[in-house]
Amino acid sequence: MIRTMGRKRVVAAASMVAGLSLLVAGCSNGDGEETDSTNSPDSSAAAEGAKTDRELVVWAGATKPINQTFNPFSPQVQHVALGGIYQTLYYYNKAGSGDPMSLLGESFEWNDDGTELTITIREGVTWNDGEPFTTDDVIYSFTNDIAGPAYISGAEAPDDTTVVLSFDEPQYTNEFSLLGSTYMVPAHIWEDLEEDPIEWGNLEPVGTGPYTVNSISDEALTVVANPDYWGGEANVTNVRYVGVDDNAAAQDLLMSGKIDWVGMFIPQPDPVTDLGIGYINTPQDPTVMYTCSNADLGCEGDQTDVAVRQALNLAIDRTEIKDKAFVGLTGDVSPTFALLGRDDKWISPDVPAESPQTANIEEAQAILEEAGYTMGDDGIYEKDGDPIEMTLSSVDGWTDYNNAAKLIEEQAAAAGMTVTAATVSWNEFAEGRSAGDYELIMGGVIGTSVPDPFQIYKDWMGGDSTTPVGTPLEPGFWNFSRYDNDIVDEQIEVAAGTLDEATKMDAYAAIQEEITRDLPYIPIVINATQTFYNQTDYTGWPTEDDLYAFPPAWGAGASGVVLHSLGGTE
Amino acid sequence: MRYIARRLVIYAITLWAAISLNFLLPRLLPGNPADIMIAKLSRRGDVSDAQLESIRRLFGNPDASLWQQYLDYWGQLFQGDLGTSVQFYPSSVSSLIGSALPWSIGLVGVATVLSFIIGISLGMFAGWKRGTWVDHIVPSTTLLQSLPYFWVAMVLIYFFARENEWFPRTDGYDIWTFNNTEWSWAFAGSVIYHGILPAITIIISSVGGWLLGMRNMMVSTMGEDYVVTAEAKGLKKGRIMRTYGARNAMLPSIAGIGVSLGFVVSGFVVMEQVFSYPGIGKLMIEGVEGNDYALMQGVFLVITLTVLAAMFITDLVYGLIDPRARQNA
Amino acid sequence: MPDLLTHAPDPVDPGEAADAREDERHIKRHVNGKFLIGAAVLTFMILFAIFGPMIAQFDPRISGDNPVLAPPDSTYWMGTTSLGHDVFSQMATGARTSLLIGVIAGLIAVTLSILFGVVAGYVGGVTDEVLTLIIGVMLVIPGLPLTIVISSAVPGRSGLLVAVILGITGWAGAAVVLRSQAQSLRNRDYVAASRIAGENPFRVIGVEVLPNLLPLLTGQFLFGVIFAILGEAGLSYLGLGPTGSISWGTILNDANSGYALQSGAWWWFLPPGIAVALVGMSLALINFAVDEVINPKLRSAPLEARRLRKAKAEKKAIAKADKQAAKDEKKAEAQA
Repeated sequence: MIRTMGRKRVVAAASMVAGLSLLVAGCSNGDGEETDSTNSPDSSAAAEGAKTDRELVVWAGATKPINQTFNPFSPQVQHVALGGIYQTLYYYNKAGSGDPMSLLGESFEWNDDGTELTITIREGVTWNDGEPFTTDDVIYSFTNDIAGPAYISGAEAPDDTTVVLSFDEPQYTNEFSLLGSTYMVPAHIWEDLEEDPIEWGNLEPVGTGPYTVNSISDEALTVVANPDYWGGEANVTNVRYVGVDDNAAAQDLLMSGKIDWVGMFIPQPDPVTDLGIGYINTPQDPTVMYTCSNADLGCEGDQTDVAVRQALNLAIDRTEIKDKAFVGLTGDVSPTFALLGRDDKWISPDVPAESPQTANIEEAQAILEEAGYTMGDDGIYEKDGDPIEMTLSSVDGWTDYNNAAKLIEEQAAAAGMTVTAATVSWNEFAEGRSAGDYELIMGGVIGTSVPDPFQIYKDWMGGDSTTPVGTPLEPGFWNFSRYDNDIVDEQIEVAAGTLDEATKMDAYAAIQEEITRDLPYIPIVINATQTFYNQTDYTGWPTEDDLYAFPPAWGAGASGVVLHSLGGTE
Repeated sequence: MRYIARRLVIYAITLWAAISLNFLLPRLLPGNPADIMIAKLSRRGDVSDAQLESIRRLFGNPDASLWQQYLDYWGQLFQGDLGTSVQFYPSSVSSLIGSALPWSIGLVGVATVLSFIIGISLGMFAGWKRGTWVDHIVPSTTLLQSLPYFWVAMVLIYFFARENEWFPRTDGYDIWTFNNTEWSWAFAGSVIYHGILPAITIIISSVGGWLLGMRNMMVSTMGEDYVVTAEAKGLKKGRIMRTYGARNAMLPSIAGIGVSLGFVVSGFVVMEQVFSYPGIGKLMIEGVEGNDYALMQGVFLVITLTVLAAMFITDLVYGLIDPRARQNA
Repeated sequence: MPDLLTHAPDPVDPGEAADAREDERHIKRHVNGKFLIGAAVLTFMILFAIFGPMIAQFDPRISGDNPVLAPPDSTYWMGTTSLGHDVFSQMATGARTSLLIGVIAGLIAVTLSILFGVVAGYVGGVTDEVLTLIIGVMLVIPGLPLTIVISSAVPGRSGLLVAVILGITGWAGAAVVLRSQAQSLRNRDYVAASRIAGENPFRVIGVEVLPNLLPLLTGQFLFGVIFAILGEAGLSYLGLGPTGSISWGTILNDANSGYALQSGAWWWFLPPGIAVALVGMSLALINFAVDEVINPKLRSAPLEARRLRKAKAEKKAIAKADKQAAKDEKKAEAQA
């Protein structure tokens, strides 16, 4: 079970990371025009369903013993704290392309050069200890030592409901980070804390969200609806978050009706949905092969030759991988890393929108032959007597990735390349990709939280986000491929400095031409994100038709929105 | 008394060696808990110098000499301080172990005692009935003994918790009903109910060993002159079986308890994982998974100490009931 | 496996063992059923490991166009996995790995237990104290947790490495037994004579001591093998088994993480567990026979008991018959 757990944990961690580091490149609020989102959670779905005190049981990926902390600054914070107890100013729906939903913020406005963000906060909100929510709290939340972003140069409140954040440089791209993933904490509690705020367990959290904590043990925690919630008391008044150690056990508990809401990978969902359990799959994050691609920065191995990467890209039978390793649950991936369906408008017409779904061995071999490789006696291509041999690592126990690697090994062999699938510990994987000490890795790219692939270009392919092989990447840098392309870097700059859609599209087109040719990451699929829910006793879940929030129970921020939207069926 | 004193010295040295090994192991392994913690924190934003300093302080100073670290380690150990968990930060390792240990000792203790009693009784019976049809059944227990613990556990779960929901699938008590551990009859009932399948797993996998050992000793003992004499005197059969045969045949089995604990420990580490039982074995796996050296070492140390303590106790008991042991030592 | 250790406090007289060996002819005549079954199953497993991969129709690592999760049929003798790998081919290849790991680990464990146990017992004195202490420490440190700690730190574990780890963590119990046996052998006349004659102690150990311990060593080796095969399965289940190779443990682990039981694919989940159990059982049965060689009472006592019982039963039957006859006689008399 260690295996499935590792996977699950990383998914959860990745979602947290995504929450902080991803940024918004140019939402519709350009040119200083005010955006006043009319969306609010109570207007979206909360009206649905009836009040119920039937206890909703959630597994959000916590293993036992669960971490007894509701401290939003702790890496091990309980999921319910982010969204259920603490809230952000806005909720950005990762699963849709609409405007952000207003939570504690009423409106926000950028100045013309992106160096000032003016936020109007919601009035009449109180913390669950009865104190009013004020601009002091907002300023504290943005400027505290623990989580306050360093790029904020000033924060002040000209009146009781307005906060102005100022920056030295344009920060359009950090809109999501500021508004969508900075949780508001009460200054009157946190300012005078005697303990180290990071170590503080915060077992009686004071938040503004729809729930308050009732109990916590090593195995489970319970929360109850906050009667004074500004959006109205939640319909589902009792919620229990349980700890479960592995997916197999969780699936059994789900099927026996002991768990009502869970976001986890179940390779065969049919037996579950046959029982009448609701199911939605919202693929978000690309699964790729990381390639240590840049010999100039010290990468070693045959994959540093772009011809090998191209041949590999063509030799892969993505349909077989999707069907066998991911049991048909994944989405198709675009080599541009724009999420198909959501980000279509950003895909340049000059590049293929989709990665090839079946293997094209002839073309793969043609590319190799053109690059000077010849087929050896053993059916493996070689150059100067040196056969193509690469190791493809995947983290031991990430079953779907392990299986995909095994299939790629077979498929590459059919095209005349030796790829050896090997499993490694998470530690080795993390250290290998960080230091560039690898050839090929089955890995994930974090999907963007907003409908724009910019963040992937900048963080994963920008020359500024990498280091030479041997030097571990700094936190927040994700360019494991060591990709360093002047055209890409230049166009990233252009895209970051503009809110004009046409200019950005041109920049993206140039980037896409480079990356679809160079393939620093060979895209495989968009990984499944499955959510299962009890639709017999509860209503108001996000569905294909009304995807008002990211559905899985582990979604930071999103889970609070979903919880408040639920109601009993009777 | 000399016997006990001598054993004590040996145990003290063993204890020292085990603890020192425990100190050395993580330092021989790659990776540094402080770095892992910092990496985790930094994913959530910038880490201030003050935080770095406090984390370094928490996880030990890598710049100090090995000898200094060793002394610090003993100092911390005497204060019951096993360090801070990375995985369950900011919980201390000792508090995590504190809440997990009772579960393991309770379950494994009860199951082992049951297994021992059942195995010894059946073994006694089989030894008594030597030369009959029972002899042909005895060897089949070796099959039970050779089944992997976790495989047995999974098959049991499949039939008795999944296909037929007779027993709970996970946990040490009903976490749907009880918000926390408590002292009540209902809670105790829940604990027992949740312990049945795991206990059966342990019993199935270990009873064969006791049975065989006892049976073989019983067979040997029954051939001894004093038993033959007893039989010749026409003593009651039950009396011969229990007083003359079993009592003497059992000696090695009692001595075996201490030694076999190592095997029991190995089994329950995996078994707890299958049943999601909130014990020490599962805690260890969590530590391994999260690269949480402090936790791994702490659990390892506690398991070692528990085995040591159990061996010491059986040693004492054995010394009391078998005078020969005292002389041999 | 406690019975491996239960001999420790009550050393069996090795002289008896020697006598027993001399009496081999007698034993051969009585080749017992347990040994036969054990040997047959073990032979079958070994043959399976040797020839299985040759007769397998598929490459265990290549799924090709195989259907996924196909139940056993004439093409896929043991069905296929969720990726379409042939379970029979995997079991055959896994048999090689698992048995090899078992044998290597068993050999290492026995070698170490001789090194520590026999030397400690035979040489005695300070050497004994030191070696006994090391044995004691290794005995106290629980094997699997130690293995987990070591394995989790070693990247890219080969099957050989796993075998070595299992070998060096699993010898202490056997060493305790050997030590007490060697101690008692040391005082036997013929050994003492060689010792006093100033023979090289290692020669004495090799020539006089070890041959007498052979049956015991065999038993310990067998248990070492069982222990290692089970240990490998457990480690693999925890994701700490050999990387990159197929063993019964990794098949079990694949089956588990591939939701074999949940999808009803019993043909994927049951065979590796049963195979492990069968090998374990066969070795334990052989050990049974070995035990009876070491301790002839185990074999003579039941026979004796049976003979006695038979005799008693006959006596009873005769008595009964006599009684009946007497009765009949009486009856006849009465009628007359």
